[in-house]
Amino acid sequence: MEFLQLLINTAALGAAYALVALGFVWVLNATSAVNFAHGDLVMAGGFVALALAGMLPLPGILLLPLVLVLMAGLGLVFSLLAFFPLKDRPPVSVFISTIALGIIVSNGASAIFGAEPRATPPLFAGGVVALGGLPGGLIVSRQAIAVMLVAALLIAVQYLLFARTQFGRRLRATAQDRDMAAAIGIPVDRMIALTFALATALAGAAGLLLSNSFFVSPTDGMNYMVKAYIAVTIGGWGSIAGAVAGAFLIALFDVMLPGLPALLPALGALPGADWLFSQTVATILLYVLLLVILVLRPQGLFGEAVQRRA
Amino acid sequence: MSLFAALAAATPTLLARQARAARAWLCHGIRLPLLVGAGLLILYPVLFGSPYHLRLLTVSGVYVLMVLGYQLIFGQAGALALTQGAFFGLGGYATAILGSRLGWGFPATFPLSISLPVALAALIAVPVLRLESHYFALATLGISQILLLVAIKWEALTGGSNGLTGVPGIVLFGAALPRGWPLLLAVWGMVALGAALAWRITRGRIGRAFHLMRENPLAAQSVGLDTGRLRLVALLLSAAYGGAAGALYTHTMRIVSTEILEFSVMVACLTMTVVGGRTSIAGAILGGVLLVHLPEWLRFLDRFYLIGYGALLLLMIVVAPFGLIGALERWRAWFVPEALPDAPPPRAPPARRPAPDIARDTAPLLAVRGIDKSFGGLRALAAVDLSVAAGEIVGLIGPNGSGKTTLVNVVTGVYRPDAGTVALAGQSIAGCTVHDIARAGIARTFQNLNLVDDMTALDSVAVARRHDGDLAAARGHAMALLDRLGIAAIAMRRCGGLAQGLKRRIEIARALALEPRLLLLDEPAAGLNPSEQRDLAARLRALAGEGLSLLVIEHNMPFLMTLAGRLVCLDHGQVIAAGTPAEIRRDAKVIEAYLGIVDDAAPAFGGAQPA
Repeated sequence: MEFLQLLINTAALGAAYALVALGFVWVLNATSAVNFAHGDLVMAGGFVALALAGMLPLPGILLLPLVLVLMAGLGLVFSLLAFFPLKDRPPVSVFISTIALGIIVSNGASAIFGAEPRATPPLFAGGVVALGGLPGGLIVSRQAIAVMLVAALLIAVQYLLFARTQFGRRLRATAQDRDMAAAIGIPVDRMIALTFALATALAGAAGLLLSNSFFVSPTDGMNYMVKAYIAVTIGGWGSIAGAVAGAFLIALFDVMLPGLPALLPALGALPGADWLFSQTVATILLYVLLLVILVLRPQGLFGEAVQRRA
Repeated sequence: MSLFAALAAATPTLLARQARAARAWLCHGIRLPLLVGAGLLILYPVLFGSPYHLRLLTVSGVYVLMVLGYQLIFGQAGALALTQGAFFGLGGYATAILGSRLGWGFPATFPLSISLPVALAALIAVPVLRLESHYFALATLGISQILLLVAIKWEALTGGSNGLTGVPGIVLFGAALPRGWPLLLAVWGMVALGAALAWRITRGRIGRAFHLMRENPLAAQSVGLDTGRLRLVALLLSAAYGGAAGALYTHTMRIVSTEILEFSVMVACLTMTVVGGRTSIAGAILGGVLLVHLPEWLRFLDRFYLIGYGALLLLMIVVAPFGLIGALERWRAWFVPEALPDAPPPRAPPARRPAPDIARDTAPLLAVRGIDKSFGGLRALAAVDLSVAAGEIVGLIGPNGSGKTTLVNVVTGVYRPDAGTVALAGQSIAGCTVHDIARAGIARTFQNLNLVDDMTALDSVAVARRHDGDLAAARGHAMALLDRLGIAAIAMRRCGGLAQGLKRRIEIARALALEPRLLLLDEPAAGLNPSEQRDLAARLRALAGEGLSLLVIEHNMPFLMTLAGRLVCLDHGQVIAAGTPAEIRRDAKVIEAYLGIVDDAAPAFGGAQPA
């Protein structure tokens, strides 16, 4: 039963991470630049939800549309500050400009909301629910199930948007080859600005979803950014499906490793178990895994080797 | 008596001449503002000698040292490494742990605080250095985060989040250096040493090599530069600087905590480098001093001065991507042009290396046998054979997409063939790196021109003179090569603004600077007018007359007809014809390959010029 509970937690966390990674990879594809502030935008989404909840005592699910709209607006501003002034420069310039904006966002959040971790309201209701019928009774948190469902819904809407609409086709064309898209009359700059808006809205949604169980504090951005970065690296640079798969792998790591002693009490009895099965060690191992993957497959787990044209 | 009179008469003119020379020296570039800035920096602690100001300036020096190292990997090598904060933190922790726990003295802890980060850099270099830009940034970030988490978690060693206190100060030759002036001078003495070392490394030809490498790695490799090694040296050196700076920081603070491993240190270092300038020593000093003082000036923001950091970093990257020193240099060049342009150096024709006597060899100089190369499902080259004898000029023709450039890329090691062999003077070069093949004697030019816009024509050529002792010798030889191609007049111009025909000839000069045995030219006549083409053909024939072999890709048949003794025609990756120009001209398969396809690049048999 513990295993099933952990699995549901993994699925919820993985779905939220997938939202983060998808926003990251859309901007990456559209601009070929890494958005180093993407994690800070997730954090900002959490705080926007928190501020809204302070004004409107509503459940999270009703705040979500507002968060999406506000964060999309922030994404537009973000692209005007960090991307468009540098769009003809080497990608490393955008990398640095997003580092700069990330610092501004995270310290801005700290100035406004203070450094303490805070929790956003749950999507529907808090607490746990016993899933009926099963011997022993499977007890899961309502929020975990809600996060899973809402994230799945957002991913599905996104899929339809990109796969089935003319707007989505234009976005994909822009992401694939900016010059070619411009040549066939797609307003590339507008598409890129919209990509930023969409990616930031997704980040904001993830912030709302994650900040109930995991709280939100101004320094969280780095963690989320690195998770998205790793998910995209594992999944293959620029691959959409790969980014989602990478996000779930990371969630598996995050949830299962610290959860191992609960599954196998024998492990918990080992000397130094508290130390070994901690979140910190899980994160260290995740980084080590990333380095190993980069060494063995510099093109990512699922990526294809790209050959350089001379 | 008359001698004395002559001396007396000459002295004022001698003095006047010296004064003029001094003035000319001072007015060159941005020397004057830099000297004023240096004077202000020295005046600062003298005028504001409070312990508080001395401490700020000491900390500035520590950061300048870290930035000097970061400039090597980020500025010179052009790799966005995010490890400099980790090297800094590791050096700091080494000093703190060895000093406060084991009681070791400065002469032992300082070298160790430098070697540990260097050892870490060497450890990560093998897997990390070959990664492309974004993966490289992520991998280096991951390593930094691991170090931070370990420092938090390994409380027994590092004191965890509480850190370690009681770090001893610097004790040298039995004398303790107290805070204030002595520590300030010690730190800035290290800065001076570090700056001198960085200056020695990056001035001259190596500096140009770094410049070419960060702008265009492939071009750098093609002139025989081992870019992997250059990057490794830059990373190891940056680690040494970072470790030294971390050690001095800990000696200044006398405590250490996980803060020095946090990402904010890396951001501070990056910001200082971007604000000051990525490659200049003055930029490191300006960035370090300015940004250490910024929080003091941004006091009204309280502890959120980091917002100011972020805003400044954003502003600089948008408005002045070359940093304050770079902006100063550019303003100077725009608003106050130099009274006297830099004079080109005298020409010094390189001493010819004794050419190996291949003419008597039966084997051809270049022998390509059965080369296959596919990209995904596309078979770009299929069982291609080709040979070039010593002193021979071979023309390689074929419609667009027939595999000509792919063949050049296989011969020069850019692509690894799926099957087949490539041999130079009987020795296999298959599987060799691009720079090894360049050093072995195969030089090339590029169809799409791989020059660096803000490098002079002279330095673009000089950078390829790997064997010359110093930059002056390399420039002298480069000057002679530019002269050989008839473009000595543009030696001091920057490549960015030059016409295409001139750029092509600079590339040829750069390739010749390698003193190759075989020269591969990819469309050398493109962008040249008819008289320039005739001129170039005559110069190339002269080179072949001296024993150089040439393989020339060209669509321009009139140009090639007068140049090549033998033509090879590729179509769909296969050799469809080979022979003298006259034979090729009549070959039915060649005519079909060109005329069967609607292609604006069909050779101009009638003599018309292709665009």
